[in-house]
Amino acid sequence: MRREKAAKSLHPAVQSLALYSSGDLPLIARWRIGSHVARCADCEQQVFLFRSATVELKREANTQTLTGFEAIADWMRLEREMLGNISVGVAAARCIDKVGRDHVLISRVALVLGLMALFVAGWLTHIPREQTGHLAASIRRLAGMERPQITGTILRTTPDGIAVRAQGATLTIMHPPSAVVSLSGASAVSARYVDEETGQVTITKVYGQ
Amino acid sequence: MANSLQRFGALALLGLVLPVCIFAEDADARWLDVEFPHDSPVLPVSFSLGPSTARVRGMSMALDLHASLVLRNTGTKPISGLTLRVEAQDLTPSGKGSVTIPSLNVLPGEVFPVRIDMELLRPFTVAKSDSAIVQVSLDCALFNDFSYYGPDKLNSRRALIVYELEARRDRKYLANLLDTGRLAQLREELNFGLPDFTPEQLGLELLRLPRTASMREQPVNVGAVSFPSAPVQPIGGAAQVSGNEVRAPQIEVKNTSQKTVRSIDMGWIVRDESGKDFIAGSVPALMRLGPVQTGTMTESGTLRFSRSTGQPMMIGALMAFVNDVEFMDGKLWIPTRIDIDEATADPVLRRALATSPEQQRLADIYRRKGISGLAEALKKVN
Repeated sequence: MRREKAAKSLHPAVQSLALYSSGDLPLIARWRIGSHVARCADCEQQVFLFRSATVELKREANTQTLTGFEAIADWMRLEREMLGNISVGVAAARCIDKVGRDHVLISRVALVLGLMALFVAGWLTHIPREQTGHLAASIRRLAGMERPQITGTILRTTPDGIAVRAQGATLTIMHPPSAVVSLSGASAVSARYVDEETGQVTITKVYGQ
Repeated sequence: MANSLQRFGALALLGLVLPVCIFAEDADARWLDVEFPHDSPVLPVSFSLGPSTARVRGMSMALDLHASLVLRNTGTKPISGLTLRVEAQDLTPSGKGSVTIPSLNVLPGEVFPVRIDMELLRPFTVAKSDSAIVQVSLDCALFNDFSYYGPDKLNSRRALIVYELEARRDRKYLANLLDTGRLAQLREELNFGLPDFTPEQLGLELLRLPRTASMREQPVNVGAVSFPSAPVQPIGGAAQVSGNEVRAPQIEVKNTSQKTVRSIDMGWIVRDESGKDFIAGSVPALMRLGPVQTGTMTESGTLRFSRSTGQPMMIGALMAFVNDVEFMDGKLWIPTRIDIDEATADPVLRRALATSPEQQRLADIYRRKGISGLAEALKKVN
């Protein structure tokens, strides 16, 4: 009885028992604690508990490792996941690429439209209507929508003068707004007015054949 | 895409630069030449182009020419009228122009001005030539004894003689009104206080293109306006009318005189849809017509009418009158004042028939200088 009491008073510390259970103590300490555990039922129980816990921990650790291995071992699943991730990445890249392309395309279309608008505005302000009509008629003829017209001469009066158009050129003899215009022969148009500077009656004519 | 844009840019640049280069070449060319024969009784004393300009207009070059000439009568007879021919190499031989100054009365040694304001629109593609772009030359100069000088390529002599005959008729008529103190009638004749008698301006287009009959064309009878003393009387005729276009008008005429006729100048009156009459002009035509003989005058072109605003003028009716007659002996008949008064009851039409170039000139003098200026002008010539 006294011997059990003396053994209890000499119980090693719990940390030493834990280290003993895992075999991590130096040789002399391991011998001394092992001698104690062999004579002390409480410390033996404690060492057993530590060992059981260690085994359980290892087992648990082994179980967790096996779960990862099991996942790694599932190559088909892994391949599907990887392919899925790659597909998502590629799709995202394509989306980004498309957004950039659309922007460039819109810019270029806007540039072309702007140039076309400038061209149309320049055409409307600089090209006489008769030439526009002539060009439109030529295009219609080229497209076969209109029969070709034999080139002739056109005499016409305008608010500013009398004009003859032939061979693509137009000669306009100017007159003031007060001029009286009239037909003057089978192929002539005339305008009559008093020249404000000279005081002379002036009769201008254009002829076409 | 980038290549296409570069190509488009290059073409646009070429399109911009090419007209400028050609324009520069055209700008260097001689714009206007004045050519008179050395033996001409009328010679240029000075010539200037004033504020003439050249500019690019689309795919054409627009030459804005303002020529001022001072001519001298270097002959021995007074000049009654003159016609200058204006020819542009781009339009030759199809189109040309002329400037006529009637009622001149320029004595030997005197100078007189002639102004020609014109615009030539020529495409850049026309062939270049060594000659000037526009040439002005003498076509006919008429003297007060009705003799003339010049090649008369535009049949100007006949027109100048008619203008001179009308001038003499109107000067005599107005001088008579002045001498007899009928100033109210004189003012009325010179169009003062009667703004409603001013005829509305017409827009004309004469198409010398081969055209076929359209489905919309309607045959229209041509009425006759007769001058009592006219040696040739219009009988009636027909024309094809489509909206504001008249095609192939023809009129039958009869020589009621004992002389053979060489040519007839037929005047045309157009009535619009509201019943207003307008003198469209006159068409002289060679027609040998013996005494009491009839003939038909035909015009091959198409006439298109519009109002001064540019809107088409719908044609309601057509009428014809004999403006003047040339006989085989070279003499000309023109209607008298009595003929004109008796021809129509419409005062606007009567005014339009009576207004000769000389009356227009005298009316301008009266407007500027009053009755004394008119009396002086009439005394100077008569």
